Amino acid sequence: MTTSKVVFNNVLRFFLLILIQVLVLNNIYLGGLINPYFYIYFILLLPYEIPGSLLLILSFLVGAGVDVFTNTMGMNISACLAMGFARPYVIRRISSGPDSLIGDSPSLKNQGLKWFLYYSGSLILIHHFVLFYLEAFRFTEFFTTFFRTAMSSIFTLMLVLISEYFFYPKEK
Amino acid sequence: MVFLRKHYFILLFLLLETISISLFFNFNEFQNTAMYGVTSTFTGVINRTFRNISEYFSLKKTNQTLVEELAKLHSRLPDAYYKSDAYSFYRNDTIYQLQYRYISAKVISNTTNKRNNFLMISKGSLQGVRNHMGVIIGNRIVGQIVSVSPHFSWIISMLNKDSRISGKFKKNNQLVNVEWPGGNYRYGSVKEVPKHVEIKKGDTIITSGNSDIFPEGILIGTISDFTVATEENFNYGTILFSTDFNSLGYVEIVVDLMRKEKEDLKATFKSE
Repeated sequence: MTTSKVVFNNVLRFFLLILIQVLVLNNIYLGGLINPYFYIYFILLLPYEIPGSLLLILSFLVGAGVDVFTNTMGMNISACLAMGFARPYVIRRISSGPDSLIGDSPSLKNQGLKWFLYYSGSLILIHHFVLFYLEAFRFTEFFTTFFRTAMSSIFTLMLVLISEYFFYPKEK
Repeated sequence: MVFLRKHYFILLFLLLETISISLFFNFNEFQNTAMYGVTSTFTGVINRTFRNISEYFSLKKTNQTLVEELAKLHSRLPDAYYKSDAYSFYRNDTIYQLQYRYISAKVISNTTNKRNNFLMISKGSLQGVRNHMGVIIGNRIVGQIVSVSPHFSWIISMLNKDSRISGKFKKNNQLVNVEWPGGNYRYGSVKEVPKHVEIKKGDTIITSGNSDIFPEGILIGTISDFTVATEENFNYGTILFSTDFNSLGYVEIVVDLMRKEKEDLKATFKSE
């Protein structure tokens, strides 16, 4: 895939996912405890070779994009930065070596279900953990917040996996 | 420089994270800046556009909410309130012992076109209304309380086949019974007028005071027509009611303060 096409795809995904998040997902009521934050799919799908500074800046921007809509400036940014910061370490930790990474960016098709589950699951957990604890910001709600983090992470992960199967079907 | 190049990722992360955390905690100040005006205008336009579309999907719910809100507002209108003005009026006297007290009540339901007519009033047991109390308007007769709830009461109107009022001629105190035969609500019938009693048009019939329901002297009506019986011992008359039952707005309930005493006296008489 050419560089320009990668850039185009990611820019498109950037805006599309923010809009889906703030216009659709933020308006869905799922029992009050589950809040999926699917927009971080953008960070998950950034190319392997992205420079660290660009990764952090894009994380900052995608978080800010959601924050300006929800009037929670700083909350999603902090969570996305933590996620972006952890991303290279997570990839290094779960991959056997640079040669095992197939393609430009992480995908279920190329890396297999187990790798992708570890990868997206841990990053989603980091993001949601920071986000929900910043949101609650008191320790009296510690366990409620923990429950929310877990439930919402599962839900976000499900959305990510569905998207992987739907938009990047396995080639036969 | 080597340190910077080696650790720039961590340093950049810490820098950006510091910025975002400080944004998070100082957002209220940030809201005053010009930049916030620009971003909120931008997000506002997007949100409004989306809202314009998405509101069509929630029209049903919006409708329901509006109807509920309407009902809520209706229930706050003056009409929805029960007016519990529990005033009662009575005359006190140091020479005469007070016997009757009057409670005013608003008529909220009334018929005159049925054979058996009832009225509903907006006073009930909470205001002191009890069963079998008489109901008048001014000094004219209306009926009798037959059923009482905390806030409302049913009155059996004079215009009812079960209404039978003990009356008398004002001029000579001769006792008669007044009933309503149905039909025209303006006219009733006077039965059992003894033959020796001279009856003529315009004679006034008032309550006798023999029953415990009405005080003596409440106007029932005036004789408008009569027939002199030839074979029976009683004459019959037609009476024009003093009360216009079709235009009752407010009525007064008669509270006989000595009723219990009278009933107790009757009870002792019966038991002996």
